[in-house]
Amino acid sequence: MMVRAERSRWQAFGQGFVAHGFTMYPVLLLLVIVGAVVAPRFLSTINLINILEQVSVLGLTTIGLSFVVLIGRLDLSLEGIVGFAPMLAAVLMASASAGGYGVELPGWAGLLVALGSAGLIGFFNGFMVVRVGLNPFISTLGLLVLLRGSILIISNGRSIYSPGAALTYLGSAKIAGLPVSVLVFLAVAVLVGCIFQYHRYGRALYAIGRNEEAARAAGIDVDRVIWSAFVFAGLLAGLAGVLMTGRLDSAVTTQGEGIIFSAFAAAVIGGVSLGGGKGNIIGVVSGVLLIGVINNLLTLAQVPSFYVQASTGAVIIVAAVLTTLASRRSSGVKTRT
Amino acid sequence: MVVEPKAPIVEMRQITKTFGSTRALRGVDFTVLPGEIHALLGRNGAGKSTLVSCLSGIVAADSGRVRIGQADIIANGESYAAALRDEIAHVQQTPRLFDLLTVAENLFLENPAVRRRGWVSHRQMIARAAQVLETWGIEISPTALAGQLGAGTRQLLEIIKALNRGVPVMILDEPTAALSNAEKRVLFDHVRALKAQGVSFVYISHHLDEVFEIADTVTILRDGQTVTERAAVSSLDVETIADLMMGQKTQRSVREDFTDASAPPLLEARGLRLGKGTVDFQVRKGEIVALAGPVGSGKEDLAMILAGHKAPLGGRVFSPSGKLPVIGLVPTDRHASGYVGLLGVRENVTLGGLDLLSGGLGFIDRGREAAHVGDLARRTNVIAASLEQPVGQLSGGNQQKVVFARALCRDPQVIVALSPTRGVDVGAKEQLYGLLRDLAAKGMGVVVVSDEEDEISQLANRVVIVFEEEIVGELVGDYSMKDLILRMEGVA
Repeated sequence: MMVRAERSRWQAFGQGFVAHGFTMYPVLLLLVIVGAVVAPRFLSTINLINILEQVSVLGLTTIGLSFVVLIGRLDLSLEGIVGFAPMLAAVLMASASAGGYGVELPGWAGLLVALGSAGLIGFFNGFMVVRVGLNPFISTLGLLVLLRGSILIISNGRSIYSPGAALTYLGSAKIAGLPVSVLVFLAVAVLVGCIFQYHRYGRALYAIGRNEEAARAAGIDVDRVIWSAFVFAGLLAGLAGVLMTGRLDSAVTTQGEGIIFSAFAAAVIGGVSLGGGKGNIIGVVSGVLLIGVINNLLTLAQVPSFYVQASTGAVIIVAAVLTTLASRRSSGVKTRT
Repeated sequence: MVVEPKAPIVEMRQITKTFGSTRALRGVDFTVLPGEIHALLGRNGAGKSTLVSCLSGIVAADSGRVRIGQADIIANGESYAAALRDEIAHVQQTPRLFDLLTVAENLFLENPAVRRRGWVSHRQMIARAAQVLETWGIEISPTALAGQLGAGTRQLLEIIKALNRGVPVMILDEPTAALSNAEKRVLFDHVRALKAQGVSFVYISHHLDEVFEIADTVTILRDGQTVTERAAVSSLDVETIADLMMGQKTQRSVREDFTDASAPPLLEARGLRLGKGTVDFQVRKGEIVALAGPVGSGKEDLAMILAGHKAPLGGRVFSPSGKLPVIGLVPTDRHASGYVGLLGVRENVTLGGLDLLSGGLGFIDRGREAAHVGDLARRTNVIAASLEQPVGQLSGGNQQKVVFARALCRDPQVIVALSPTRGVDVGAKEQLYGLLRDLAAKGMGVVVVSDEEDEISQLANRVVIVFEEEIVGELVGDYSMKDLILRMEGVA
């Protein structure tokens, strides 16, 4: 009997471990150990901070994505927002000689433009899904392509360098040796994590993702929650874009390209179910860190860049398999009468 | 002449099945003879559906032996459905039809009869489907989409599909739940005809009158074990069966009247338009009022409008006191819209009152939540391992209690309950009736939508008959069961 109790305690621990999003942390730890052995530079403070700085853009995008994925939707246009929002701000801020429109908005207004346009795009996505009733895959895919084109239109196909300190501060400044972008990412992760776990809005998200009709019958304003989830996703993608522009000290026309794939990968690796209603921020962060660490390790190990991309893809598949197996083993209990 | 005892067509020996920590079946034996209609009875959660699912292979048994005809399986938890494919057909509680395929396509899916060298002949399929529909007296086109049909027709289609496969054993799990009386007659006629041809049936139903009408043999399960095996139906009566299912004597409760006629109505509807006519309606303090009428009469719509979950075509719902009361809703289908299966009891109940249980910034007050949900779970008698247990793992009765707890989360003055005890066993039913009476006694207005005469007569102080989107009659106070049945059938 003792053995049995012991085993079920382990089982309970395992279930909680997976359910709370810790599945990937042992893998992450393993990678760090491997990294430390393979590349001595890996564990240096500079490199670790570098990794965090690199993942903060992906991290914010993935957190934004998890809003809509939790309710069983998706938003491909986030990638377009990462590029478009800071570009719009940059062309309005930069002088005509630097490729701008000559409006020369002050810095704080530029920041407002970037986040405001990001939120508006999210609002538009919500409108298309909730009011018009489009499938989010197709409506946000269309918008993604439209935004990529719009970036080229508004910038006339040219990147804008040094758009202004207010826009680039978040992505380039450091406080006590830590990049502000990392602090922003961590703050948003903690805040959104608390909202998902302890806020009524988070409860509504999970309920809608798992059984939309039941959420409706319980009196939750389902349409409003879905709509707002798209707005939050857009806002966070806009913030990610601002950080990226800051780090590069320029709004580049190709900014954000391909980030949506990494964001989906990070979310799934972190245990977020694309079917909705499952996953949390602890998991999302693990997925983001995993991708960041792998990229960094491959670069440090001087793997040729062609191989970096292919092996990142392979790792994503392996990690997704691991996550799926773990969550299937720990839950999936279904009873009937 | 020596009569040879028939060899059983189905033999299940020492079947066990465990879901997570729930031991659904604990070594069950089950035998069916050829040409027999064998009723499988038991309360919700007794293991009926699990046993027949193990029989058809939808769920793989953990251990034991399943033999159907020639197929013989030693169960070890691995799926064996494929081996039984040609031996048994299983009609589940909810129809599994392809909504976007036509009736004919649904009926003849994977049926070799309409195939010529691997290609499906559409013309032949439609002709045969029309023929089948005709013998069943169903007036729909074989080319109609399955998704557009009513619940009863869908259920019949599912049954027809299974019967058409020509297998020697059929499982019918609550086949009549969505059927009208006429549809039920047609079904029973076909079942008897097939029985005469030697087909065996395993029949699950909550309606004991059906069991007495059609079954030959009865097996009763309780807590995953057999309490009565292969009793002849003629040797049993309703009381005995109920006692065997419950494990203890039960008595049906009777209605009580707490209506406060002096107080102004809690909720009033005037000139509501559901369809053609208009409806006036009111709910008083302490009153339990039932909305009754045939399927599609508009009684559900009226209830949803009263609960504020649907907009009427015209008219208004208001309260004479000015401010609309808080209304709790128990929706009609708990699986579809009642609970969130993966979430625990606590989170499900809280969904009903997220605003109430959260502080100024919208963060849930965990302490208040735990206290409030604990209190509601006690009042509704929810039995779960803990308040964190996913509701999907609970028995039907306990799931429904969770739905009630959610509806009560905001301390409503009016509760609207649609089919409050559908698919719930006798014990849980009585507990829910007790709860509703208790709420009425505390001055709440209760609106119940029901198809069951027994339920209405046990609960309602007033019965409102809805027919073709209008209120056509009312029974108040001391009405008799006979009045009620006649009114509900549209006779009186």
